[in-house]
Amino acid sequence: MTVLARSSSVALGRLPRPGTVLAGGFVALVVLAAVAPGLLTSDTPTQIDLTNALAPPSWEHPFGTDEAGRDLLTRVIHGTGLSLGIGLGATGVSMALAIVLGAAAALAGGVVDTLITRLLEVTFAFPSLLAALLIVAVFGPSVTTSIVAVGVGSMPGYARMVRGQVLAVKESGYIEAAHALGHRPWRVFRQHLLPNAMRPLVAVVTLGVGQSIVWASSLAFLGLGVPPPSPEWGALLDAGRGYITTSWWLAIMPGLVIVLFAVAVTSLGRTLQQRLEGAAR
Amino acid sequence: MSTAAPAPAARLRRIAGKLLSAVLVLLVAASITFFVQLLLPGDRATVILNIRNGRDQQWPAEEIAAINHQFGFDRPLIVQYLDYLAGLLRGDLGTSYTEFRPVTAVIGAQLLPTVVLTVGALVVAWLIAVTVTLLTVRRGRILGGIGAAFEAFTASLPHYWVGMLLLVAFAVQIPIFPVIGGDTPAGTVLPVLTLAVPLSGFLGQVLREEFHKVLDQPFITTARTRGMSDAAVRLRHALRHAVLPGITLSGWALGALVSGSVIAESIYGRPGIGQVLVTAVNNRDVPTVAGIVLVVAAVYIVANVLVDLAYTLVDPRLRIS
Amino acid sequence: MTRPRPFRRAGVAGLGLALAGSVLAACAGGPSAGSGTRIEGGTLTYAHVQEPPCIFGGWIQQAYISRQVLDNLVTLDTDGSIKPWLATSWEVSPDGLTYTFTLKEGVKFTDGTPLDAEAVAFNFDQWMTTQLNGTAKVSLDPYYRAAEVIDPTHVAIRLNAPYPQFLTLITQGYFGIQSPTALRTRSQAENCEKPIGSGAFVVEEWRKGQEVVFKKNPNYTSWPATAKHEGPAYIDELRWKFVPDPLSRYASLTTGQSDVVYEIPTVHWKDAQEKFETTIRYITPGKPISFYINTAAGVFTDKLVRQAFAHGADRKGAVEAGFHGVIPYEGNPAMSRSTPDYNADLADAYPFDQAKANALLDQAGWTGPRTPEGIRTKDGRPLTVRIIYGAGSFITAEGATVLQALQEQWKQVGFGVELIPLTRAELNSGRFSDPTTYDAWPSYWTSPSPAILWIVWRPTTPEKPNGNNRSFYNNPELARIIDEANTSTDPERASQLYRQAQQIISDDAAGIGLYTQNTLVAAANRVKDFWLEHSQGEPVFSDVYLVQ
Repeated sequence: MTVLARSSSVALGRLPRPGTVLAGGFVALVVLAAVAPGLLTSDTPTQIDLTNALAPPSWEHPFGTDEAGRDLLTRVIHGTGLSLGIGLGATGVSMALAIVLGAAAALAGGVVDTLITRLLEVTFAFPSLLAALLIVAVFGPSVTTSIVAVGVGSMPGYARMVRGQVLAVKESGYIEAAHALGHRPWRVFRQHLLPNAMRPLVAVVTLGVGQSIVWASSLAFLGLGVPPPSPEWGALLDAGRGYITTSWWLAIMPGLVIVLFAVAVTSLGRTLQQRLEGAAR
Repeated sequence: MSTAAPAPAARLRRIAGKLLSAVLVLLVAASITFFVQLLLPGDRATVILNIRNGRDQQWPAEEIAAINHQFGFDRPLIVQYLDYLAGLLRGDLGTSYTEFRPVTAVIGAQLLPTVVLTVGALVVAWLIAVTVTLLTVRRGRILGGIGAAFEAFTASLPHYWVGMLLLVAFAVQIPIFPVIGGDTPAGTVLPVLTLAVPLSGFLGQVLREEFHKVLDQPFITTARTRGMSDAAVRLRHALRHAVLPGITLSGWALGALVSGSVIAESIYGRPGIGQVLVTAVNNRDVPTVAGIVLVVAAVYIVANVLVDLAYTLVDPRLRIS
Repeated sequence: MTRPRPFRRAGVAGLGLALAGSVLAACAGGPSAGSGTRIEGGTLTYAHVQEPPCIFGGWIQQAYISRQVLDNLVTLDTDGSIKPWLATSWEVSPDGLTYTFTLKEGVKFTDGTPLDAEAVAFNFDQWMTTQLNGTAKVSLDPYYRAAEVIDPTHVAIRLNAPYPQFLTLITQGYFGIQSPTALRTRSQAENCEKPIGSGAFVVEEWRKGQEVVFKKNPNYTSWPATAKHEGPAYIDELRWKFVPDPLSRYASLTTGQSDVVYEIPTVHWKDAQEKFETTIRYITPGKPISFYINTAAGVFTDKLVRQAFAHGADRKGAVEAGFHGVIPYEGNPAMSRSTPDYNADLADAYPFDQAKANALLDQAGWTGPRTPEGIRTKDGRPLTVRIIYGAGSFITAEGATVLQALQEQWKQVGFGVELIPLTRAELNSGRFSDPTTYDAWPSYWTSPSPAILWIVWRPTTPEKPNGNNRSFYNNPELARIIDEANTSTDPERASQLYRQAQQIISDDAAGIGLYTQNTLVAAANRVKDFWLEHSQGEPVFSDVYLVQ
C-alpha cells in the first residue's frame, strides 16, 4: 500500500515483454468491464436464485454461484466499475491533498515548510489504517468513505514526493526564467511548475491505483468496506470468506481477480516508470 | 566503533535535537488524535452507556449528565486537554473509559505480541527477499523472470487473503499449526508469514533493482577479474550495497505492518495492539486510541533511528557525513 | 416450545428435526452421557465470539461470561418454571407487592464475605441506582421500589405494583449477585476484570484479546436446582477464548483445539451435527430479529405501506434458504416462539403475496410514474426504504444475504430498498435514535419474559423517553394493555393481554417478523453434561466432565 507510494525510486528489472502484453491485455479487459459490463455479461449482478445457491464453477457459471445463487463472474464484472472507481478516486484524493501540502511546503519554504514537513512526519508515524478506521467507523461504510479513507491513508508518501519534485523544479533555472518573463505566479505554477514536477510521478500514481484497490478490499475485510449488495471486489471477498472451507470459489475467485489486477497494473506502472526514467536520463 | 565519527559534542547536539523533535512529533500526534476524536460526531457519555448496556440508543439527560460528571466530560475541552497533556508529561496516558484501567496497562500487555509479530514479519520478509534475489537475479532470463514475477505477485497480495489461505491450508486442512494459537510460538508462525509474504515482494523488488545497478559497477568487475567467485561477489560486495534502499523501506514498512497486524490478529485471534485499536476506536475510548497512536509513533521513530544507524553501519561512506 | 437440546446423537440429526425444535430430555448422568472413561479435573477450552470490556454488565455478552462466577437468586427451568438457586424458597404477598426470599445458609463469596440478605439488598440497590447495569434496571423499572433486609437469611423486594414477571426476569445473568465487600472496597477496574461472586468458577486471569482463564471454586456450595450434579465443578480450569472469526472458531473445534464452540456458522451446522454428539440449537426468547418499522417519519407513516412491505417479499423462503434451514423464520414481530405467552397466530402473519402488496400500494396512492429503476412514486417522491442494521454481531453475513434476497423481491413491487450496514462505532454513538435516519431496522432483544413488550414498545413521553421503541410507535392503547398484563395477578388474564398486545403490533405492522435469534453451540465428544441455561442461553460449565 503506502510502502509503494513512499518509494518513488523503486523500479523493477524489466519484466519480460510477453508479461507486459499480458498485463496490458488484462487491464484493458478490466477497464472494458468497468465501462461496459453489459458487453461481457448479459446477466444482472443482483439476480437472486436461492435454489441455485453455492453451485461450484461450471460452464454456465465459470466462477460458480454465491450463497444467494447469484452468478459470481457476473458480480465480479459488475463490481469492476466500483473497485476501479475507488482505486482511482482514492489515488485522486491522496494526490490532491499531496499536491496542496507538498507544493505549499516547497513553494512557501521557511516556517510553513517546517510545519508541513513536521506534520507529514506525524502522519507517517500514524498507522495509516488508523486514519481509515476513524473515518469509516464514524461516518459509516460507503463508497465515499472508502475513497476518502484509503486516500487520506496513503497521502503522506505522495506529499513527500511532491514536495521533493516541486523543490527540484523550482530550483531549476527554467522557472526563474518564466518569472523573469513576467508571468504571473499562479500561471507559472499551473503551466510550468506543476506539470514538470508531476511528470515523474505519473508512474507512481499508476502503481497507487492497484494498491488502493487492494487496500479498499482490506477495509471490506474489517467490515468497513462498501455495503452489500454491491459487488465491489473486496465486498465479494468478504462475503465469501465464511465459505472458504465449503465453497472455495467464493473467496478464491474475487481474490485472484484483485491480485491479478494489482500485478498487472504494477507491472504496467513499472514499465512506464522505466520509460520515463529512461527519457529523463 | 566507527573510525571517522564526528566530534562527540556535535554528535550529542544532533542526537539531542533529534530527540526533541521526536518528542514534539509524539505530543502533536497524541494531541491530534485526542482532538479529532472529540470533534467527531457522537457523544462520549452516550457511547459509554451503550457499551455498558449492550445498546445503541440515546439516553435520558440525567444519565448522560451523571456519566459526564463522573468522567469529567463536563469540564471545558481545553481543561480536559491540558489535563491530558499534563498526564502525558508524567507518563500517565489516562484511564480507559470502558475498562477503567490505566491506558498504559491496557497497551502494555498487548505491545509485546505486536512487536513480535511485526519484527518477526520484517525479519522473515528480508530472509525471503534476499534469498529469492540472490538465487534469481542475473541468472538468465527465465530464472530472473520467475524471480521478478514472484515478487510482483507477492507484493500485490492482500494481507487478509494470504492470512485466510494460510489458515485454511496449514491449520485446517493440514493441521500443522494451531488455529487459535494466541501468542504462543507455534501460533505466531502463520501470522508472521501473513505479513511477511507481501512485504517480501516489496523488498525483493527494491533489492533486485539495486542488485542490477550494483552488478554493473566497475568495482564488481574488478572483483571478478581478481578471481572472486560469483557467490562471494554477490554476498560480500553486491548485497551490501543493494540492501541500503531496502533498509530505508523497512522503516517505512513498519507503519504498513502495524496496519496489517490488525488483520492478522483478527484472523488468528491473536492478542495485540491492532485488536485493541479497533475496539477502542469503536468504543470512542479517547485515551486508549491516543495512547496507542503515541506508542506506535514512538516505535516508528525509534525504528527509523535504528534504520539510520543500520545505514551508517552498512554504508561506510555515510559515517563521515 | 423449543428448548435447548443438550444431547444430539450423531446421525439422527436431520434438518426437519432441527426445525421441529424437538427436545431430548436432559437426564443428568443418564446413559446418553455416552462412552469413554471419565477423567478427573482437566481443562476445558471454550471458543466464544465477542470480548466485553468488563465481565459484569448489562450486555448479553457479559451475562454469558458473568454466569460463570456469579449466582442468581433463582433460575429458570426448561418448562418456564422458577427454580431455587441462592434462594431456597420465596413467598409472594397476597397483594403481589412483596417478594420475600429465603436464602441458602452458609453461602460465602469467594472473598469470604457471607452471601446474606444484606448482600442481596446491596446488589439490588446497585442495579437500580448506578449505571453499571442498565439492563437490570430497565427490566424492573418502574415496578421496583426497594430491597429490605429482614434478617440475615431473609430479604424482601418491594414493588410499586404487582409484577409477576419479576421472578422470571431476575433469572437472567444481569442479576448475578456480587460481593458487596468487593464492590465497596475494590477499584472499578478490579471489579470489572475479576468480579467476586459465589459461583462455580473464579476469574484467575484475563489475557485481553485472547482469553479469560477461570479456575474452579473448590468451596462451591450454591449450585442451582437445575444443576446436573451437586458440588463444585468437575473441571479444574475453564479457558474462555475470544475467537471472532467464524472460520477459525469452527475449525478450532474440528481440529480439537477447543472443546465447546459458540455460534457455529449455519453452513457448518450439518457437519457439526454429524461430527459431534452434543449440538444445541437454542432459540433465544424475547424480541426476535424482526424489523422495527419507523411509524413516525418517512414512507412507513402510512399503515398500508407498512403492510404492503410485509407482504411484498418472501421472508420465510429467504430465511430458510439463507440460513440453510438451520434458523427458523419468525413471523411474529414482537416475540419469538420460545417466549412465554407467544401468540402463535402471528407465526405466519403477512404471507408472501405480491398482488396484495401491489394493491395496498395502489390504494395508498403510490401510483405515480415509476422511476427508471422501477421504483414507485407518489407526488414525485420515490418509494425509498432505508434499512439500517448492525453488521457483524447483530446481523450475521448470512442474515445480510437474507436482506439482499428480500431487497430484490421488494423491488418487484416497487420498493427501492437501500441496505445500510452500521459499524459498532455508529451503533454505539446512538446516532440512529432520530426518526429521520432510517425506515426499518432489523434487531433483537433477549428476554425470557413477555415483559419484553414493555421494554420495547412502551411509548416515549417527554418525561420518560423510551429509547428502545425503535418504531417510534406511541400507541397508548397498547401501552395500557401491556401494563395491565404486567401487573395482572391472574396468569390467564395476563397471557391473554400479552397475546393481544402482540396482535396489535403485528396488525398495525409497527414491526415485521424475520427470524429468531439463536445460540448454536457444539461440544467435542469428550465433553459431557454441557448445557445452556434457559433464560437466555448462557453456557453452563459447572456440570461438565471430560472423558477419554
